[in-house]
Amino acid sequence: MSIFIDQTTTVCVQGITGKEGSFWTKHMIELGTQVVCGVTPGKEGQTVENKPVYNSVKKAAQQHNIDASMLFVPPRFTKDAVFEALDAGIKKIVTIGDGIPLHDMVAIRQAAKVHNAMVVGGNTSGVISPKLAMMGSFPHWIERVYKKGNIGIMTRSGSLTNEVTAMVVAAGYGVSTLIGVGGDPVPGTRFAEFLELYENDPETEAVVIIGELGGTMEEEVAEAINDKRFTKPLVAFLGGRTAPKGQKMGHAGAIISGGKGSVEDKIEALTKAGALVAERPRLVGELLEELGVSKA
Amino acid sequence: MKLFEYQAKDIFKEAGIPIPNSVLIQEETMLEKALDTVKTPCVVKSQVLSGGRGKAGLVVFTKTKEDAQKETKRLFAKDLNIKHLLIEEAIDIKQEIYVSVTIDPNQASALLIVSKEGGVDIETLATERPEKIIKEPIDMRYGLMPYQASRVAYDLGFSKDITKALKNTFLKLYHIFVQYDAELVEINPLFITQDNIVVAGDGKLMIDDNSMFRQQRYEKGQTDYKSDAEYEAAQEGIPFIEFDGDIGLMCAGAGLTTTVYDLIHYEGGTIANYLEFGGPNYKKAVKSMEICLKVPSKVILVVTFGTIARADVMASGIVEAIKQLKPDRPIVTCIRGTNEKEAVNILKEAGLEPVFDTEEAVRKAVDIAKGGSK
Repeated sequence: MSIFIDQTTTVCVQGITGKEGSFWTKHMIELGTQVVCGVTPGKEGQTVENKPVYNSVKKAAQQHNIDASMLFVPPRFTKDAVFEALDAGIKKIVTIGDGIPLHDMVAIRQAAKVHNAMVVGGNTSGVISPKLAMMGSFPHWIERVYKKGNIGIMTRSGSLTNEVTAMVVAAGYGVSTLIGVGGDPVPGTRFAEFLELYENDPETEAVVIIGELGGTMEEEVAEAINDKRFTKPLVAFLGGRTAPKGQKMGHAGAIISGGKGSVEDKIEALTKAGALVAERPRLVGELLEELGVSKA
Repeated sequence: MKLFEYQAKDIFKEAGIPIPNSVLIQEETMLEKALDTVKTPCVVKSQVLSGGRGKAGLVVFTKTKEDAQKETKRLFAKDLNIKHLLIEEAIDIKQEIYVSVTIDPNQASALLIVSKEGGVDIETLATERPEKIIKEPIDMRYGLMPYQASRVAYDLGFSKDITKALKNTFLKLYHIFVQYDAELVEINPLFITQDNIVVAGDGKLMIDDNSMFRQQRYEKGQTDYKSDAEYEAAQEGIPFIEFDGDIGLMCAGAGLTTTVYDLIHYEGGTIANYLEFGGPNYKKAVKSMEICLKVPSKVILVVTFGTIARADVMASGIVEAIKQLKPDRPIVTCIRGTNEKEAVNILKEAGLEPVFDTEEAVRKAVDIAKGGSK
């Protein structure tokens, strides 16, 4: 098992005829993802990787049973594309664009709530269940990172995911499902909202969160543990412990502002809740061992 | 993008929020004429983007023309690098209020934040006396409703006239928040004058960087950056921050770069600059190194773990950059990810000694910066 996506999930790709869209559609299929169709307005009748292309998501949804939509759409058109997918009744949406306007993300997150849907991203690589399926832009063939196993991983950063996951794999573990929630201040879905899925996934034995300064997503994870909404072992690595206040560190969401978002606060909340926080990426694997997580 | 006080106040004025009478000056000689309009006593306010201007002596109350001249001269001194002063009438204040509009990421709403204890640092107030802060969630589909603005205004407990003026100010401020794709719009303090008029004493407006394509009124110019290196990086779309330590970072990916930044501090090192050439910039090694070399540092540390940003491409870029730029300082490399074996070979062939572990690379750079072995 896995969460969010597996080999049975049927996927529509919005923006399938673009350079990124067609490139990653190929790799998504190669991993085992059930891409059933694509959408690019004006390109109906074409095919990409033998999958039919439609002018609208609604039309695609009339022809196919679609569980999830993957967006390869520029940031400024993301809001429109997400709303189109929601309008067609799709409940799982992944959007990877970096640079989505803040107020658009607020509208997207709110609309997702209203539709009882989950939007992952933006500013992320997406979601991958190694050896099964993915929605996004993961080089799934790199075994040093994308090895199948029993650790659920959630992350705010792509580059750091490689660094940390490689350490988890080097320690003898693998990944059930890796979710990039993204580096923006308003991600479509937050860490804590995925915990329930990991909690109910028999294949996930423990969860690793790769967080960083800014916002309160890590604190919400601590709350979920405190409230017993999540009861499996959890290890966190957090970047930006020594970052100066008021300075954006790369990601739009990585900033201490309004007295909130320091890594110190996050470590305190997580530690109090009983999670272990790794000071360095190298230590994440060791802490999983310390918690007695089995190596499948 | 953070606007200057005078820019935020221009916007307030256009929206109908009263601001004090003021004149913006760019040089000392302009003061004389400014004082024809503003009159003393007045406040001389440096237009800089950093907070705590009052404590830093960058905002000064002056009683006489002579005082104003003295302060203007002092603040326009070259080393302070202040380009504008706002000469503003002194207001006879009865009360100071705090008001802002920002985003609540978890609730996916906007938030109107108001406190009767304005003029102070809101973060301190939030920690020490959170009960003094009113937070009103705003559903952005419908905007701030008049009843909400009215309710918050009444909760502050002022007379009818002031309450009405406050309500209107809240509504106008929310409108600005939406119109300018703001991360934050804040008036702190919002004055209530002895004549019971509501006036914006300060103004802060931060426009979301991701929305700049549709906010063309304020384009960032070269003078809005702290240094030429920061300007150049911004032109290239390369995330870059200048510090004053020893080690120049040239890494890939925001999270990894931030982590390397931490690891250097853990090892007792200091940072000269943060530069990230991952993602769409992974072929810009030459330009990135050129920018790094503009900042004084003892060593440049390259750490990457790219997937789409291929390791072999980045390694070749580093080799090319060294060939073209002939850096005057050592380069430590730790390049991994897609095609990492090829990357190691490329670096070795060029005479470099690539490191493969992030912490080892960090220690090596810190050693060099401290004057140890190369």
